[in-house]
Amino acid sequence: MELSFPSELGYEKVAREAVAAFARRLGCDRERVEDLKTALGEACINAIEHGNGRAPGLRVDVSCIGADDHLEIEVHDQGLKRYESSGTIASIDLKLSGLAPLRGMGLMMIAQLVDEAGFTESVDGRNHFRLVLYFRKI
Amino acid sequence: MASPNSDNEPVERIIELRLPSRLGYEKVAMDTASSLARRMGFGGDRVEALRTAIAEAVTNAIEHGNEHDSDMRVLVMLTARPDELVVSVADQGRKQLDQQQTTPTPRIEDAFTKQDKGGWGIWLIRELMDEVEFTTAPSGGNQVRMVIHLER
Repeated sequence: MELSFPSELGYEKVAREAVAAFARRLGCDRERVEDLKTALGEACINAIEHGNGRAPGLRVDVSCIGADDHLEIEVHDQGLKRYESSGTIASIDLKLSGLAPLRGMGLMMIAQLVDEAGFTESVDGRNHFRLVLYFRKI
Repeated sequence: MASPNSDNEPVERIIELRLPSRLGYEKVAMDTASSLARRMGFGGDRVEALRTAIAEAVTNAIEHGNEHDSDMRVLVMLTARPDELVVSVADQGRKQLDQQQTTPTPRIEDAFTKQDKGGWGIWLIRELMDEVEFTTAPSGGNQVRMVIHLER
């Protein structure tokens, strides 16, 4: 399945519902669907706010590939701003104690909710964020 | 969710969805469209009407237009405008839709006696949506364009 939507805050909710329905169709259990919706929402907001810099007229593309026991999703923005890793992700304790910036919570949360997550190499100038979710079939 | 552009002209927002031709994936289109429609301000009854119409259109595309070939795709385009939502469903046209089938008048009495209970999908779509048009998609497949008006 492929989904393409305007790069505007609010449309991530439409993407969440589309991907949740796709996961349910594959037999993904309800709890994992909720994890996926939260993770995907964060990934789409990152694409809108950071990758596309909230610039008008841009789009976010989401592709979903389903397998027997897992789901692989890629979120692509148009790469107005390329993601640069700032090295080791600060712990939640460091963030809460003020020793590290509060930004970056989204990536941390995504990593907790799905089984694999991260930016992948791209040669087309866009940011590609990949998520993999394994599920128990219902 | 349509908003004015820099010239203060209302602009449209388009969502594109490409689905495999397998029964069950029509639910993805239903949930995507209903999420958008709720955000646009459509009431519960209108959202339910939209869900039913999209289910019928996508199911027709999977079963008839693409003849259940899972390598083929169904393209659903949702265009949000300030006062309406336009939904276009296109298949890849393995089987062309007979234009005579686009204006059916099925009779409930026949459904009791006939073995085949089908033939209600297009009639339902016409009953539920404000505008319905059957055309040929740019790809050569069958396309149905449905419009539902937003009454505030």
